Amino acid sequence: MSIRLLKYAFIEDWAEPRFFNTPDELRDSYDVVIIGAGGHGLATAYYLAREHGITNVAVLDQSYIGGGNTGRNTTIIRSNYLTEEGVKFYDQSVELFKSLSEELDLNIFYSERGHFTLAHSDATLRTARWRAEVNKHYGVDSEVVGPDDILKACPQIQLDCGGNHEILGALYHAPGAVARHDAVAWGYAKRASEAGIEIHQHTEVTGIDVAGGRVVGVTTPRGKIQAGAVVSAVAGFTPTVLSMVGLSSPIEIFPLQACVTEPIKPWLDTIIVSGSLHLYVSQSSRGEMVMGASLDPMELHSRRSTFEFVSNLADQLLDMFPFLSQVNVNRQWAGMADMTPDFAPVMGTTPVGGFYVDAGWGTWGFKATPISGKTMAATVANARDDELITDFNLSRFGDYELVGEKGAAAVGH
Amino acid sequence: MKYIDFPTLGRRPSSEFVVGGIIDPEPAELDGISPGEWVFNRDSIPMRRTEWWYHTPTQLWFLVERHTATDEVFGATLAGAAIDG
Ligand SMILES: Cc1cc2nc3c(=O)[nH]c(=O)nc-3n(C[C@H](O)[C@H](O)[C@H](O)COP(=O)(O)OP(=O)(O)OC[C@H]3O[C@@H](n4cnc5c(N)ncnc54)[C@H](O)[C@@H]3O)c2cc1C
Repeated sequence: MSIRLLKYAFIEDWAEPRFFNTPDELRDSYDVVIIGAGGHGLATAYYLAREHGITNVAVLDQSYIGGGNTGRNTTIIRSNYLTEEGVKFYDQSVELFKSLSEELDLNIFYSERGHFTLAHSDATLRTARWRAEVNKHYGVDSEVVGPDDILKACPQIQLDCGGNHEILGALYHAPGAVARHDAVAWGYAKRASEAGIEIHQHTEVTGIDVAGGRVVGVTTPRGKIQAGAVVSAVAGFTPTVLSMVGLSSPIEIFPLQACVTEPIKPWLDTIIVSGSLHLYVSQSSRGEMVMGASLDPMELHSRRSTFEFVSNLADQLLDMFPFLSQVNVNRQWAGMADMTPDFAPVMGTTPVGGFYVDAGWGTWGFKATPISGKTMAATVANARDDELITDFNLSRFGDYELVGEKGAAAVGH
Repeated sequence: MKYIDFPTLGRRPSSEFVVGGIIDPEPAELDGISPGEWVFNRDSIPMRRTEWWYHTPTQLWFLVERHTATDEVFGATLAGAAIDG
């Protein structure tokens, strides 16, 4: 037990301040209302205050902070994407993540592990080489490695995968990391709150008021609020919120599931992803095996998890790591992933004045939390898309200007 | 696994099907929407709707009515006799 904890046992007044203090009452009006207190909404709030001095801001969540996909993801952070837009964007996010514990004054347990995307076929190996070259061109550390290098980093892996899907090589990305997702949400909440921003949990936005082509406020069960600008950062609820302002988008909601085993001794240092086996796995700092697969096959607005998911996953996993057959699954869950046809996000201004969207984060948005917050804050403050995100605007679909990130985001989240 | 009653096929597991999404309006019915928006945009709000379902083993298409919040299936019909030529 830490001395600090022991000390608290004898102190009557709890010395540690609360993470955030929000008044019970909503104000009548805010400069900016952010819908969704996931990592993205909270990071946007924080950077609005820190970089633009905008603090008359409320972050509203229908539930509790970080209870959406932020608290349900498998926390993989990497920047080995396929397109120029993607690589530049995620690389800046990785850089922000590296110093985030200091910036938020909270240990987010950022842990660099190295990230292997396994190739079981020539075709996958070709994509790996393509990604490695694009990455290197933009200064991101990625290379194609052979089976020996994989075995060196992970001696427990069965390279023949039960005889059906022999591992031929991998894309290796040394900066690949994991972090504590809750800490990211809570850290941003704490810092935003210190700057005077209000975080109202259990406050659902049920309508958005538009007048003369501009947002003027939002409706909640606790009353109407006026707002100069509204940011939607609601991931799996984006189509519903967009419909409140009459906007359509290509975003479709599919469940994405994950699970963890009971904690076991540390043995897996790296992150292993296999697109062919629909599987990825890492070991958390508590010793649990954190595992996930690709999306459920049908659109569904639900967070139910299924037995098929764990049984299919176990089937594939045991081809690669047979000794895990002794280990029990402890928990499983699902999130609602907001998928786009090109596997790239939808960010920035919209045809409705003062209404900004941060969505299309699908299965890959946790790693983007810091840079999304930063670029969305700049976009709101300047009423103009930040230059790092112009290619991600909602208008790209109508203009046939898709970003084409599927090759780097389909299973490896 | 979820089992559903299909005409012609009988009771089949949903894993034998590929869902082709909601039935869209025809392009001719577009009103003030650009072709790109028609191609890509989806109204993915939770609702009861009719979807295309493709049965991989028999290559038959069905129209399935399903609620996208509860996953409840209300019925399936064979999509147009014109398809099996
Ligand atoms: C199982 C799983 C694994 C994943 N693995 C990874 C990974 O390894 N790496 C990675 O980078 N990404 C991963 N992701 C994706 C990542 O989790 C998300 O893209 C990211 O967390 C989205 O954050 P967010 O803040 O935008 O949304 P969320 O955290 O979902 O926050 C949205 C919030 O909006 C609130 N809300 C919705 N509607 C309303 C309303 N009308 N009024 C008020 N509030 C509302 C919700 O309650 C919620 O709290 C994974 C996702 C899942 C589900």
